Amino acid sequence: MIIKLKALIVLMFVGFLAMADNVQFTMEGPDVIAAGEQFRLSFTLTENGSDLQLPDLSNFDVLMGPSTSQSSSIQIINGKTTQTSSFSYIFILRAKKEGKFTIRPASIKINGKTYESNSLNIQVVKGQPQMAAGQSAQPGNQQQQDETPTGIISKDNLFVHIAVDKTNVFKGEQILATVKLYISQNVPLNGFDEVKLPSYEGFWTKEINIPTQVSFTREVYNGKIYQVGTLKKTILFPQQIGAIRIDPFEITCLVRQRVRKQQGFFDDFFDNYRVVKAKVVSDPVIINVKNLPNQPANYSGAVGNFSLLGTIDKSNVKSNEAVTLKLNISGSGNLTLINPPKIELPTDFESYEPKTTDKTIASNNGLSGSVAFEYLFIPRFAGNFTIPAVQFVFFNPSSHQFETRSTEPFNIRVEKGKDDGGSAVVNSYSKEDVRMIGKDIRFIKQNKAKFKPSGSSFYGTFEFYMIYILSLIGFAVFYILNRKKIKESANIALIRNKRANKVALKRLKEASVFLKSNQAEKFYEAVIKALWGYLSDKLSIPVADLSRQKTSSSLLEKEIEPEVVTELMKIIDDCEFARYAPAAFSGTMKEVYDGAARVMGIFEKQIK
Amino acid sequence: MKQLFNTILAILLTATAFAQADLLQKANELYTRDQFKQSIDVYNQILMTNMESPEVYYNLGNAYYKTKQYTLSILNYERAKLLSPDDEDISFNLQVANQHVVDSIQELPGIFIVRWWNSLVNSQTTDTWAICSIGSFIVFLVMLGFYFFAKTSDVKRITFWSGCLLIMVTISSWSFAAKQKSRLVNHDYAIVMQPTVTIKSSPSEKGTNLFVIHEGLKVRITDKLGNWLEIRLADGNKGWLPTDSIERI
Repeated sequence: MIIKLKALIVLMFVGFLAMADNVQFTMEGPDVIAAGEQFRLSFTLTENGSDLQLPDLSNFDVLMGPSTSQSSSIQIINGKTTQTSSFSYIFILRAKKEGKFTIRPASIKINGKTYESNSLNIQVVKGQPQMAAGQSAQPGNQQQQDETPTGIISKDNLFVHIAVDKTNVFKGEQILATVKLYISQNVPLNGFDEVKLPSYEGFWTKEINIPTQVSFTREVYNGKIYQVGTLKKTILFPQQIGAIRIDPFEITCLVRQRVRKQQGFFDDFFDNYRVVKAKVVSDPVIINVKNLPNQPANYSGAVGNFSLLGTIDKSNVKSNEAVTLKLNISGSGNLTLINPPKIELPTDFESYEPKTTDKTIASNNGLSGSVAFEYLFIPRFAGNFTIPAVQFVFFNPSSHQFETRSTEPFNIRVEKGKDDGGSAVVNSYSKEDVRMIGKDIRFIKQNKAKFKPSGSSFYGTFEFYMIYILSLIGFAVFYILNRKKIKESANIALIRNKRANKVALKRLKEASVFLKSNQAEKFYEAVIKALWGYLSDKLSIPVADLSRQKTSSSLLEKEIEPEVVTELMKIIDDCEFARYAPAAFSGTMKEVYDGAARVMGIFEKQIK
Repeated sequence: MKQLFNTILAILLTATAFAQADLLQKANELYTRDQFKQSIDVYNQILMTNMESPEVYYNLGNAYYKTKQYTLSILNYERAKLLSPDDEDISFNLQVANQHVVDSIQELPGIFIVRWWNSLVNSQTTDTWAICSIGSFIVFLVMLGFYFFAKTSDVKRITFWSGCLLIMVTISSWSFAAKQKSRLVNHDYAIVMQPTVTIKSSPSEKGTNLFVIHEGLKVRITDKLGNWLEIRLADGNKGWLPTDSIERI
């Protein structure tokens, strides 16, 4: 029981704390008022409080207040009940003088605890005469409008303005263009008709979502208070260089006018209203767009301030498995116009077009958020690969220079994937041609060069012709010498023959004398003598030692043919027969003489 | 006295040859360090001395190519090719550089024997042909000697026919050498140096415009008249252009 009670107390305490923390105490009031104008200052509180301490309001007259009001609501959503209640204190104040005033926070006590509200800044401007007079000044204004019966309302009271946050920008730098409608307080606006938006030619645009219901705020423009409604907010990215003109914005406003007719009786009491169409056109705006300074080579058009984050989903893969490289570019700038940064994949990788995911928000701060690029690629072969660091270059308009963000290099280890062994398809090893990745000239020649005077050549020089001539002369000399030698060697044989015959004839000279005088005995004697003498000389054997046997054997030793030797022996026999037994000899002297001469000639030729 | 003069001349020649070799090495180093512009200057310095070698022209062509002056690189490759017609690297780089030429000329097909003949003639330099001619002549003389003094008829027959063949080789390589030499000396071919040149029908500004050719194209000079040259394209078209728009190879 005690435990339960304790738990309850704890729970209640927690709940109380939670409630206490949720207390909100806010002060609300207009931003701009005219001097002498009445306005509401309200304090809203989510709990019932007490002892409201007002800040110093000495610059304002408190005309009325505080009037309190209370509201509460109960919401039941899916069985959850939430109760909200609000208590408000409303004061009616009037500004005393012009200037900027700060209303200090008010404080209030809730269950003994003091809470403070926010503070407020209020600008008080010079009150216009009609303002000061309040509603009663309306007729004066009315007369003005009556003077312009066509319904054209003066430009001071109703106009459109395109406000740009900067007019001197770089190409691609974002500009916030706001189309505002200014309505003087005394112009009752009924609604809008045709709206012609500017075309924003030369810009890439991104609309900022604003509520379709135009809410008006008070704003001071040229010292006058206007109701200002924001019609459109657009972020512009200039795509051209030079002065770009933003076309005027045109809107037709429907303004309620009171028509007073003096002659009618009731007219003094009942006002007639009519709705007038007032077409308002804004002034054109000129934006000066400068080109970017010297662009780096890998710049692809991004302007703003970005950060780059690169991730790879896996660094250890098997071949033929897909890998995703994700580049996330976040920041503020022309994000949607960024081209995917180029990544240098190893050439063996099969790659696909990168997928772009746009997560950008257009707000008053410009286009911001992130753009993600997903590169899908498939390594086809095993190995260790490195994808070099991805560089992303952009132009930072605030620092006026190009900045580079880069990722870390990605290392990918590709292992050999499993072959699909179970499939019925026969594995065929496909051969790949060596892919030519680039084409370039071949490298310079580093070897030693042989220089020669330009235009010179060996052909046609003196040396060239000289070699021809010399070789011809050489040949001729060789030819002549060779010929002569042949001739000479032929001559030696002839001379020898001649000499041999000469010797034989000389030896037989005596015999020839006897042959002519026909003295037979002396003739044969002389022939014998000549033969033996010749043989003795030729074989270098003394005459006394010469015998038939010795002669024939030594002749055969000297390679004389046997027939010749036989013939010699026959001649010697014939001579001896003719001398000593002339009757037995049948030959003639002439035959013997010729035979002896012939034999001696043969010997002379063959015995050296 | 004369001997002394010759010695001095020989020393001077070798000295300049050394200087060129040093310059070439320096230029090659510059090229290797990717300082192409400086290397171009040094290569040109070598050529200013009126000495040449295919390597210098080839390397200069490479340097011009790297600095994207394709027309000049084509011109220098062509010059290198003239000095060294059978070098594969020169032909390859010339082909790569020619891809930057705008004009695509369809070469006249010609008779295949003539094409073979021309490619045979152009395959060697004039010096190679000259040496070939001398060599075959000397062998011819040797064969002639054998023919005259041979004892057997077999040797005579062989030497007779080979001698006939050799004398033909001698004469033809002589004529090839002469032809190559005339290419070297006469500079019949040229490269278009101006971005666009309008070819006229006659050697004057008033001539009819025939066609337009662009830089880097190789043309053959067929005639000359004053400041005008008649050129012939590979496809057979002929016309006149001013002398300064082309550079002889």
